[in-house]
Amino acid sequence: MLELVDLSKKFKQFYAVKNLNMFIEKGEIVGLLGPNGAGKSTAISILSSLVEPTTGDVRFKNSSIIKSPGPIRNVIGMVPQEIALYDDLTAEENLQFFGRIYRLSGVELKQKIGEVLELIGLTDRRKDVVKKFSGGMKRRLNIGVALLHNPQLIIMDEPTVGIDPQSRNYILETVKRLNREKEMTVLYTSHYMEEVEFLCDRIYIMDQGNLIASGTNEEIKRILSAEKTIEIKSDRINEVFVQLLRNDATINSVTEGEKVVTIIVPKGTKAFGTLLKYAEEAEIELNSVDVQEATLEDVFLHLTGRALRD
Amino acid sequence: MCSCILPEERYGTRGGEYFMIWQIVKKIGLTLFRNPQQLLLLLGLPIILIAILGAALGNVMNGEEVTIDAKVAIIEHGDETEQVNRFINDIENSGVPPERVEAIQAATGELAPIKLLKESVFGSEGLKELVQLESAKPTERDKILNDDSYTAVIEVPENFTYHTLQNFFGMENAETSLNVSRNEGKQLGSTIILEVLQQFQEQLTLTSFVGEKGISVDAIQVDSEAISGEITTIDQTQPVTAKNYYAIGMAVMNVLFLASTIGSYAFLEKRLHVFNRIILANVSRWIYFSGVLIAGTVFGFLHLLIVFGVSWILFGVAWPNILAFLIVTFGLAIAVGGLSVLLTAISYRINSELVTNFFQSIVITIIAFLGGSFFPIGDSFKTIQFIGNLTPNGAGMTAYLSVLRGEPISSIWEHVIFLCLFSVTIVVIAALSFPKRGQTA
Repeated sequence: MLELVDLSKKFKQFYAVKNLNMFIEKGEIVGLLGPNGAGKSTAISILSSLVEPTTGDVRFKNSSIIKSPGPIRNVIGMVPQEIALYDDLTAEENLQFFGRIYRLSGVELKQKIGEVLELIGLTDRRKDVVKKFSGGMKRRLNIGVALLHNPQLIIMDEPTVGIDPQSRNYILETVKRLNREKEMTVLYTSHYMEEVEFLCDRIYIMDQGNLIASGTNEEIKRILSAEKTIEIKSDRINEVFVQLLRNDATINSVTEGEKVVTIIVPKGTKAFGTLLKYAEEAEIELNSVDVQEATLEDVFLHLTGRALRD
Repeated sequence: MCSCILPEERYGTRGGEYFMIWQIVKKIGLTLFRNPQQLLLLLGLPIILIAILGAALGNVMNGEEVTIDAKVAIIEHGDETEQVNRFINDIENSGVPPERVEAIQAATGELAPIKLLKESVFGSEGLKELVQLESAKPTERDKILNDDSYTAVIEVPENFTYHTLQNFFGMENAETSLNVSRNEGKQLGSTIILEVLQQFQEQLTLTSFVGEKGISVDAIQVDSEAISGEITTIDQTQPVTAKNYYAIGMAVMNVLFLASTIGSYAFLEKRLHVFNRIILANVSRWIYFSGVLIAGTVFGFLHLLIVFGVSWILFGVAWPNILAFLIVTFGLAIAVGGLSVLLTAISYRINSELVTNFFQSIVITIIAFLGGSFFPIGDSFKTIQFIGNLTPNGAGMTAYLSVLRGEPISSIWEHVIFLCLFSVTIVVIAALSFPKRGQTA
């Protein structure tokens, strides 16, 4: 359906996106995961035809959208990271304006507004001005506007930033429903790996403009198939203990948190005895030692040496 | 897979474009309407300023009733009665026929110029209320000249009356003049005194002329009416009151804030990515551009109608020629539309609201000053008047003033054409500045 070929975007001397290759098939939910500044927003601005790439191409149904953006614009619904709404207008007036911009009118528009309000759970608040809405309600309306014209492909740029868990779940469920019931193709960008894990059939991971991994959830996690993650909890983790772990050549990665240290070691490593020895030397008492399944966060950590939310 | 419900054939039709433009205009209107603070600034502020400035500065504006309390001293360096007698004596001994001598003797009583000045001119009904005339001795001259309470001091040279009478009756052509010292601190009053004396001088010259030609002096009257009463403009058009003046001045200045408001709204649309949403709906950026232009024009027109409408109701600012008023209003409105789209285009180009803020906080104040919104600066400085007329508000103001004075409609064309050319120029600049696809970050 949509293909990005060797796509790069350079701002002065800085590459926001570098040699990005990806594809999206009909009916998929594809995740674009990466920390802030990874180049996700630039990538989706290019693939939605808002920004022209420095090099490379974006092909929609085998035609380049760089020279002719009309066809892709007809079928995409864009949910920007920002609340792209008119604060002084009501929810209904916003939907009316954008609906008309999408050439809807009369009964068709009225019916569509009703459907969208129902879907995003704002039917009761349709007459309220947007500035009176909570962050979650604004986010939902932000999505609703992009759904008015029944797009084939919906692009969501961090649609859950800064909202409460309840609204976040509502949005994630809505995305699932749109994909399942209306067969909408979804490109979902986020730096929350749990959202991407929950929603997406395939995932692309970006960092500093580069694509560093891609595949299904399981395929990506298999990058860590030769390793295992161990979480060590203690009330009195100290610098001596962390330093001992860092100095151990059998430990691939050490990440320190509050009352917790996460290490990645090669599979087959008998680490338990070593950990007890280090705890004794550092004079701390361990609360628990858990061997965990690899997560996308672990993959990102493994690939970049940094956490997703750094 | 469901299909997109947008019928592709609807894109790009002329009707569709107009529909899109209308949606953008309507949305800007709704946004303006939903901002009571902004509305108050755009519509309430000019009304308040008209009321304040009209009341506070009414007395210094043409056409308004002027309260003048001018104190004038007249110092005679000779005795007028003695000079009249000397003149009659000379006539009697000059061999003039007795019947002519008799006529001259009868007339001199009425033609004694200083007596005439004191009684017929400064003593007239009109001037008596405005000017307090005091006769002073030559010995008091220095004291009076140093007294700041006097608006003007008139000095009558020693043989002024004698020589003036000789001029009247064509006996000698001696030069006569009054010396007037003006108090620069009392400019308005001293200017009026000077005007009065100039009128008086003209009357004396006329009398002298008819005397030379042998016309009866009874036919000559000093026209004191001409130098009293209401001040009228030279070309006999309607006077412009302070409230009229400031209704125009504040309206033409304030309507410029509408341009910056629309420019700010438009930039907010870019910042919040609403503009991207509009573009992704396959709406041409030129439709958006046209929407901003038309919104600026339509709401500029409505803004002016509302401000002048309220001014008419509250301050009685009435337009003698409604058609001419509407033409000027439309000309100024399209300039506002042009400015709206120019500010939008530059803000989009530099990705900053800096230009709009600069226009709103600095440029409007400067061009309002040059255009004469605060006071009629152009009346004193012709260069500033010229520059002021090169600003949209200045051109609009001059045209509105012409309409208000009841001047013919032909007098506004120059300014209306300028406003149209100004608009076309800035719309072209805006179009060139407006980022094309791929130029937005």
